[in-house]
Amino acid sequence: MKNTILITIDTLRADMLGAHGSKAGLTPFMDSLSANANIFTKAHPTGPYTQASFQGILASSYYLEYGKEKKLNEDKTLISEVLKDSGIYTAAFHSNAYLSHFFGYNRGWDIFYDSMSDNVTDMYPFIRGSGINGKVKEFLKNYSFSKPLFLWVHYMDVHEPYIAEDSYILKIDPKLSISKEEMFRLFKDVILKRDIKDKGAVNTLKKLYMAKVAETDDYLKDLFNIFSTHNLTDSSTIIVTSDHGDEFAEHGGLSHDGKFYSELIDVPLIFYDRSYKPSRLDTPVSLIDIPPTICSLMEVDPSPSFKGKPLYPFEDISPYTLYGEAMGKLGNKEKDSDRPVYYMIGDDIKVIYREDKDSFEAYDIEADPKERNDIQDTLSDNRKEKLNKFIKRKDR
Amino acid sequence: MVTEERKKELEDKIAKSKEVIRDAFKKFKPEELAVTWTGGKDSTLTTWLVKEVCREDSIEMPKVMTIDEGDAFDEIHAILKEYEKKWDLDLEWCSNKDVIDAAGGKLGADVTVADLNETNQKEIRERLDYTGDKFPFEAESWIGNHLMKTVVFNDFLRRNNIKGMFMGIRWDEQPARKKDDYFVLRKGDSYTPVHTRIQPILHFTERDIWDSTLTYNIPYCSLYKKGYRSLGAATTSVKMSDIPAWEQDLENTVERAGRRQDKEKAMDRLRKLGYM
Repeated sequence: MKNTILITIDTLRADMLGAHGSKAGLTPFMDSLSANANIFTKAHPTGPYTQASFQGILASSYYLEYGKEKKLNEDKTLISEVLKDSGIYTAAFHSNAYLSHFFGYNRGWDIFYDSMSDNVTDMYPFIRGSGINGKVKEFLKNYSFSKPLFLWVHYMDVHEPYIAEDSYILKIDPKLSISKEEMFRLFKDVILKRDIKDKGAVNTLKKLYMAKVAETDDYLKDLFNIFSTHNLTDSSTIIVTSDHGDEFAEHGGLSHDGKFYSELIDVPLIFYDRSYKPSRLDTPVSLIDIPPTICSLMEVDPSPSFKGKPLYPFEDISPYTLYGEAMGKLGNKEKDSDRPVYYMIGDDIKVIYREDKDSFEAYDIEADPKERNDIQDTLSDNRKEKLNKFIKRKDR
Repeated sequence: MVTEERKKELEDKIAKSKEVIRDAFKKFKPEELAVTWTGGKDSTLTTWLVKEVCREDSIEMPKVMTIDEGDAFDEIHAILKEYEKKWDLDLEWCSNKDVIDAAGGKLGADVTVADLNETNQKEIRERLDYTGDKFPFEAESWIGNHLMKTVVFNDFLRRNNIKGMFMGIRWDEQPARKKDDYFVLRKGDSYTPVHTRIQPILHFTERDIWDSTLTYNIPYCSLYKKGYRSLGAATTSVKMSDIPAWEQDLENTVERAGRRQDKEKAMDRLRKLGYM
């Protein structure tokens, strides 16, 4: 049986990759990987932030199935639990507090490193990619390979506060001269306040974000080198994706709040396996399908609680309707008054419903990929009804 | 198996520990001393060393205490039970029953502060300065750790009039331990009785512990064989590898990385990321 490796990069927008049309040259490694992989050009998470989207990526479920819950629901099943029960060795290395032991994501892992007992700083409030790679390297050195392996590695480096290194800033904008203290001030005064009035500041923040993307591409390259020393690049299927994107005032905000526009839910999805013929796949797919796909790759029965279905074999996927849901919080703090927000994508139309406004929005994502023209007045009752059915399913 | 040279090193380390233990018996009477035994590798070695000195010098073995936090591994319970009998120990099982009862014995359940006895309420309000009405029943959270371990420990000292406590602390455990001494006097206050902490295995490294344990056939909890490096509460300890602890890269990896992290830690991280 093959090994499967899932690599998730927090907050990585699809449009940062050369493989998705970026001309900025931020991701040479991911681009070379994409050229030799099966890549999905239209992949979407089930939510616009970690808590909502990882319920799809690791548990093949939607965030609000049991109402808004702080911790992962007991009735949901993590991919790690399914695989471990089938005799596969499961190891996780990450540094996202929302995916920590406290929030219930430790279930089913033989090894679960969430970094919560390590010290971090205000400027880098997570273990950086180099540190995560060090943990993985150490683990692989000790691992016996007596069982097939499912390895999950998650990087936090692209996530704000975007404290970028000069060497990467130089690649984005050689004229940008900014101290780390000033970067941190922008985080406090601009991002946390969701203050988009100063266009120059927003522009600088986006450059810092891009510098972090370039930095993370190097971490990924280093990780693949570690894999190579254990022949894992030859004996594994390696999946690379992200949990959500990030906003730079495209729809009036910053960071990643409870909204479903393209800058927040267009993410990369790469399947790298030496034995597959590389291809670009344009069928829209949901990350809710990742756990059943991993089961299919590892020849294990999926959990009955999984809501997605396998994306493998890739060429056999027929178009289907995608959904997502999250609390529609706006701003960095959650409020009791926050109401859910939902999306549906099918036939190139995205429909969004916000419960707080009791209103629909719709976009033709093929003709208007930046989602500037709301076409909800042309929306058929049929489509509204379909999204309503998804929303109401919880009342069953 | 260790080399002859290594065995000599271990013998020297053990001799040093026995010297510390003998000093303690010079300072205190056996009935003023006690040993804390968690069932983990360090305190098991400590208990074994005290027992060896008592046997060699024909001294009465002091009382042994263990704390049940309400979230212990079955395997820990098993080794304590087995060697309580085999080593003929006067073992006292201590716990904060008031808190366990208030939580209905259920981990993660909310405990209402007002439901607790006066001592526990006083500890929470006055000593921890906690003003909330409720807290979750978790052994390794901030309040849980205090009520389930510190309060129980102090209560044991008070009830038995203990002046010196043998403990299995090591210098290499964490940076904060580096300045510890073999004898540490705790001055005491209205909550904690005056006592001396006696730490005979301070100079042992994690590697020394395993080499000694395996060389001298000292018992160890079966979980270490399964890959655990450090044993905390059952629901919050994770193993870092599936090979026995003593076969892992002890020198270059963190012993406590497998321990549970607190809610407070996670919340602090989220605040730093800008979420709270």
